[in-house]
Amino acid sequence: MESCYHLLAIIVRSPGAQQVPAPGIPGRSKDAWGGQEGLLLESFLQEMKRYLGFTEVDARHLRELGPRMEKYFPELAERFYAQIRQHPHAFRVIAGGEAEIARLKQTLQQWARGLFSGVYDERYAGDRSQIGYRHVRVGLEQKYVISAMGIVRSYFSNCLLLEFPASDERLRYAHSLGKMLDLDLNLMCESYMHATVQNLRALNEQLERANRELAEASRIKDEFLAHTSHELRTPLNSILGFSKLILDGLCKSREEEQELLRDVFSSAQHLLGIVNDILDITRIEANQMILHLEDVNPRQVLDSTLPLVAVQAASKGLELHDLSARRPLPSVRADEVRLRQVLLNLLSNAVKFTSRGSVTVRAGVTGTDGVAPSRRAFLRFEVEDTGIGIPLEKREEVFHNFVQVDNSQTRRYGGSGLGLAISRRLVEMMGGAIGLDSGSQGRGTLVWFTIPVVPEAQQESSAAARRPRATATDRR
Amino acid sequence: MTSKKNPPRAAACTVLIVEDNALVAKFYRMALERAGDFSCVVTEDVPKMLAEVEAGRVQVAVLDVSLSGTQWQGRPINGVELARLLKQHAAAHRGRPLPILLATAHAMAGDRERLLAASGADDYLEKPVYDAAHLVGKILNLLNSA
Ligand code: HEM
Repeated sequence: MESCYHLLAIIVRSPGAQQVPAPGIPGRSKDAWGGQEGLLLESFLQEMKRYLGFTEVDARHLRELGPRMEKYFPELAERFYAQIRQHPHAFRVIAGGEAEIARLKQTLQQWARGLFSGVYDERYAGDRSQIGYRHVRVGLEQKYVISAMGIVRSYFSNCLLLEFPASDERLRYAHSLGKMLDLDLNLMCESYMHATVQNLRALNEQLERANRELAEASRIKDEFLAHTSHELRTPLNSILGFSKLILDGLCKSREEEQELLRDVFSSAQHLLGIVNDILDITRIEANQMILHLEDVNPRQVLDSTLPLVAVQAASKGLELHDLSARRPLPSVRADEVRLRQVLLNLLSNAVKFTSRGSVTVRAGVTGTDGVAPSRRAFLRFEVEDTGIGIPLEKREEVFHNFVQVDNSQTRRYGGSGLGLAISRRLVEMMGGAIGLDSGSQGRGTLVWFTIPVVPEAQQESSAAARRPRATATDRR
Repeated sequence: MTSKKNPPRAAACTVLIVEDNALVAKFYRMALERAGDFSCVVTEDVPKMLAEVEAGRVQVAVLDVSLSGTQWQGRPINGVELARLLKQHAAAHRGRPLPILLATAHAMAGDRERLLAASGADDYLEKPVYDAAHLVGKILNLLNSA
């Protein structure tokens, strides 16, 4: 026997361990096209140039055009945003009002200047696709970018008309500028494509994670079902088996029948205990366990619970010490029935799994819930036994994982194995904590839990009127 | 039904019972003794089981799958491994097979096939096992076909 406590515990899974970020628009600037994406952008640029037939000649044309176009940029910016104002759907992505529009007009001129720089390398492509990203991030739909490019296009053709009355010269420049605007538009739209891919990827990951979590949850449920079925069948075997022996007339005497009936009865009681535990844990898991918090006198709880295990302890030759009896204890804020259930569970575990020695109960006020310091006062209960103890690495597990730490123990000693998991949840719902330590002599097990003490000012009155005051719903 | 209709094939037959729940073990023993005139050896101690098999004092075994208190060579052993161990031992020392009935509360889909295959046991009973005559019938079957 390596461990002494109940061993099957159900997961009471801590919710929200990892929050999944909503699929979003990818982050801005460098990381947007970083690493491998940089290479992709480079080849995209080359491919686009080839496709559009954009050559060094076009680059030279644009460089020549630059100085002559400069004077038109302010008006381009004016017209551009005047147009956009007429599309409420597009316009609403501008969150900063007139000030932002003024700034955007500047950046648009900046952008227009870039068209005529004459150098259209990877860096250029990077900058231009960044502009695309800015739009993705503010939630501007791609179609508005495409149609806005139309505004630029038609304005510039008017400019060219004014600048170049001779049509062959004008056509040459118009041709190069047209390719350039196509190139820019494609770079901006590539960002949309890229963002969509990233969103889908993030969504996919999210789905995969959800899938894994579902599979895990369903595996846990299956295990629970298998274990439950196993636990129920064992006492049923005795109940059905012995009563059938009696019915078949296979008993030798009335005394023997009586003996078997007692076995039937104790197995049925055991079965009832398991069924109750299963109901409790199911209710807790479904957030349907409702506690009725009131001011509870811990003395009364201790005094009414200890006798329930005294007989069993005595029959095993174990001493049962109540070291809390010496001092007065303050009222605690708890559900009395559930507090008794937790205490009884810990006590009967201790008695069940200790073959020699003693079981000791202590209670005292502390300034911590046992995990972190607190401004509230807590009453700390301890149940210590001189059994074999629980291996260090299994201490956490016995309380929450839905794993069978050693479910053979459960079978040997009976019980659903859910007791500690239920106790943990009940204690937590009452605002306390629960934990396990080695016994004080370095052997055995010490289980402690804390329950909030009723504040000083209310102590007096509460003793007089012990009416239910509040209902704590599961805080999960 | 019961003992009168099922004349025990051999009153001399002894069944080895390995079951960690005391009440269930008690039921098996009473059922087999009363409804089948078998003798029973109930133990969770592996060396004792091996000795019984070796000496030919048991002719058939009923094993539980999940055994809480049973150890072999310093580690816990379950009914599946135990079945293989006892079968080997019987073959080596008695020169004939030991029929084994696995009785278990593992009753999920697939458990039967999985456990039978892994243990090499001859038959399988799902708990709750509560009909004495049925249990006796299973054991007699095993003895007859052995
Ligand atoms: C051919 C079409 C367009 C071009 C060339 C263009 C150009 C630009 C540029 C150069 C920037 C500044 C980016 C930076 O600061 O790095 C910018 C930002 C912005 N543009 Fe456009 N734009 C276009 C279409 C539109 C349209 C149709 C709207 C609709 C309202 C719009 C709204 C905005 C907004 C709100 C920002 C600021 C984004 C932020 O705060 O990050 N743009 N645009």
